[in-house]
Amino acid sequence: MISRRTLLRGAGAGALVVAIPVPVLASGGLVPNVFVRLDDAGRITATVPRPDTGQGVRTVVALMVAEELSVEPGDVQLEQAPGDTERFGPQAVMNSTSVRQLSTPVRTAAATARCLLVTAAATRWRVPVAECTTRDGAVHHPRRGRAPYRSLVRAAAALDPATVPVALTPPEKWRLLGKTRAGRVDARDITTGRTRYGIDSRPPGGLVAVVARPPWIGAVPDTIDDTAARALPGVVDVLTLTAPAEGQGGVAVIAKSTHQALKARDALRVTWRGGTPTADSRTWLSDLRAALPAQGPINGMQQVFEMPLLAHAPMEPMNATAHVRPDGVTIWAPTQDPGGLRTQLARQLGVPATSVRVETAASGGAFGRRIEPDPVLEAVACSRRTGTPVQVLWTRADDMRNDSYRPMSVHRLSAELGPDGLPIRRAHEVATWPLTVLPIFANPALIKASGDHFPYSVPGDVTVTVRPAPLRTGFWRSVYAGQFVYAEENFLTEIGKRSGLDQVALRRTLLPPASRLHRVLDAVAARARWTRPPAPGTTRGVACLEDYGSAIAVIAVADPASRRLLRVHAAVDVGVALHPSGVRAQVEGCVIDALSTVLGAQITVRNGQVAESSFGDYKWARLGQTPDIDVTIVPSTTPLGGLGELAYPPAVAAIAAALAGDAPVTGMPFGVDVG
Amino acid sequence: MARYLLRVNGERHEVDVDGDTPLLWVLRDELGLTGVKYGCGVGLCGACTSHVDGQAARPCVRTAADSAKTRITTVEGLSRDGNHPVQRAWRELDVAQCGYCQPGQVMAAAALLARDPDPDDAAIEEALRDNVCRCGTYPRIRDAVRRASRIMREER
Repeated sequence: MISRRTLLRGAGAGALVVAIPVPVLASGGLVPNVFVRLDDAGRITATVPRPDTGQGVRTVVALMVAEELSVEPGDVQLEQAPGDTERFGPQAVMNSTSVRQLSTPVRTAAATARCLLVTAAATRWRVPVAECTTRDGAVHHPRRGRAPYRSLVRAAAALDPATVPVALTPPEKWRLLGKTRAGRVDARDITTGRTRYGIDSRPPGGLVAVVARPPWIGAVPDTIDDTAARALPGVVDVLTLTAPAEGQGGVAVIAKSTHQALKARDALRVTWRGGTPTADSRTWLSDLRAALPAQGPINGMQQVFEMPLLAHAPMEPMNATAHVRPDGVTIWAPTQDPGGLRTQLARQLGVPATSVRVETAASGGAFGRRIEPDPVLEAVACSRRTGTPVQVLWTRADDMRNDSYRPMSVHRLSAELGPDGLPIRRAHEVATWPLTVLPIFANPALIKASGDHFPYSVPGDVTVTVRPAPLRTGFWRSVYAGQFVYAEENFLTEIGKRSGLDQVALRRTLLPPASRLHRVLDAVAARARWTRPPAPGTTRGVACLEDYGSAIAVIAVADPASRRLLRVHAAVDVGVALHPSGVRAQVEGCVIDALSTVLGAQITVRNGQVAESSFGDYKWARLGQTPDIDVTIVPSTTPLGGLGELAYPPAVAAIAAALAGDAPVTGMPFGVDVG
Repeated sequence: MARYLLRVNGERHEVDVDGDTPLLWVLRDELGLTGVKYGCGVGLCGACTSHVDGQAARPCVRTAADSAKTRITTVEGLSRDGNHPVQRAWRELDVAQCGYCQPGQVMAAAALLARDPDPDDAAIEEALRDNVCRCGTYPRIRDAVRRASRIMREER
């Protein structure tokens, strides 16, 4: 039995989804809690508390509510929650937690609604609750017939939920959850161009701003001549933005249309001072190399891996729209954290949170970048000046050159091998930078906790040397695990090659007997027909990861001579796969990220500036490079795990091992100098 | 500023913009056709892909002046009911993740199938080579183009 007051305390996974059990409304609707409500007409509305950045949380919420209320996903109207942590709990899309943390409260909310409706019907019919079932938006009884929800909403709303036992639909009775046929609920809007992303927010009377940004890292405006810019048609204002309160800093041009703002930015004459005009990422890499101790702690096999800067480059460039009024602020933003953004803005502007409204727009990708508020701060500064809504738009080059990059890193791995060729002692020394967007990430223990998930039974140490970051760094899908697992798995592969050991057998031998990874490794080896020799000219790579409450093993098959990735097999144990198509999609996405970063994409800095400016030089994978991707979902009884970031680290390691062929992997991307 | 008469999705629109305004911003800012996505502004990512006189084109690298005598179709005008075979195939195979690049992918695929109803893999890869998807939906895009081709064949 779930009491009114504690309805949503148990959100699982250590989450504090502090749901306020909203009292049943007197207006005739049924609102078992903040997540689900039914109106008098029986229409079901579900609130999606976290943004959808492409991870599919809206679809999973619709499936969960439809499952518990015995309707189709299309019968559930979705409302994207504005930023409000008091009502919706933590709203940040991070650490692959969206579905993990929402599944219990959302399913409980919908099941509560169902149980109240069933109780109302049973009471009206004077039959036992246990004789009633729900189907097609109605309560059914073998003799009494059918009562549509709309006929029960008032009676259900009059019940005290504390008196009604609530049971979730057990997995063996699921019609929708766990089924492959369910697709993304927003697919029709997406394929017809109707989905409104942050960039599509144009409140009436809105203006557009673009910002002249520092031509080298850390520069600030020295002199500004805006005479020519202000003389151009459509230009409304020019203002200087000061970091960090107003974003990353620069000179904003506000105009009536995007094109007018872009032209006026070109007409600005700005000189810059300060910063690091001679910075070079090759030097940074040398500095990291030099930051490792002269000698490794183990005198044995040794290998060094060098990892580049990476940009997020979501397809929708950074943007935000703000309207600052005397009585408050409204934000329209593609953000990963509407609740955190609202709290931060209220604090920064010195106003109560109730006067800050953050409308959560769809995000055209995020990958960790949209956890940061800098575009929003720019829009607030511009709107405060004009008093009108202002959208700040970043061009692709603005986005690529003013990102919060994944840090560079240098990894030295060493191992002592036993007589059977297996490692008996290991050391992994890392030199890297913190995440400047979250200062606590200067702590080596946190970096180690994020990156190090070495699952094999080999005693040894991981030591992290943290050097000051020379530019903005931030959360990039999988955070430090991408670099650490790449180094650890490729070193293990090299040990296997040196010792003449089968790569899957080597890993099976080294995994602890109770590891969840055994099952996924066996499953993926079976799918990839591992025991058969690879086709002539092809090589294979394998890697594992247990993280985010889930486990995965990946096998990649490549033709190294043509640098072509042929196939990737993955087997995942996510506990419960609520939306299998979405599970596969996340793995496929990580595989493409992995291929892209092994074969071409890196950020370099020359003369103080990021050299790459668009998809011509930040070489993301294209359709023609795409391998076949085969994802097996391994049945499991463990609790629901996370998935959005799980597959990148093992995929990038396995793909690198496969594409390297007989050569050792030394870093990424292949074929060019790192840095 | 000058007036240009544009034919977009079967309707005539008069817009008053500078002649060098990219068609992308005319469609988005002046006509409110926000299904045409801004991704790079320099013809590299394909997010804005639309049809100009029936061919796949990049509105970000064409100007309002260039477009005056052309017939423009954006994703909003690809089909009356959202049920073009490409749109249906995209939904059947659950292609989209964030969805931002998908209007451009859909329009590139529709243009390909209009001129080559049964493209082989090489033709698909060539036609969609410069449509970037950052979520990594390429395997499903490839399958969905094949599926759309089959739907069109079955319904011919």
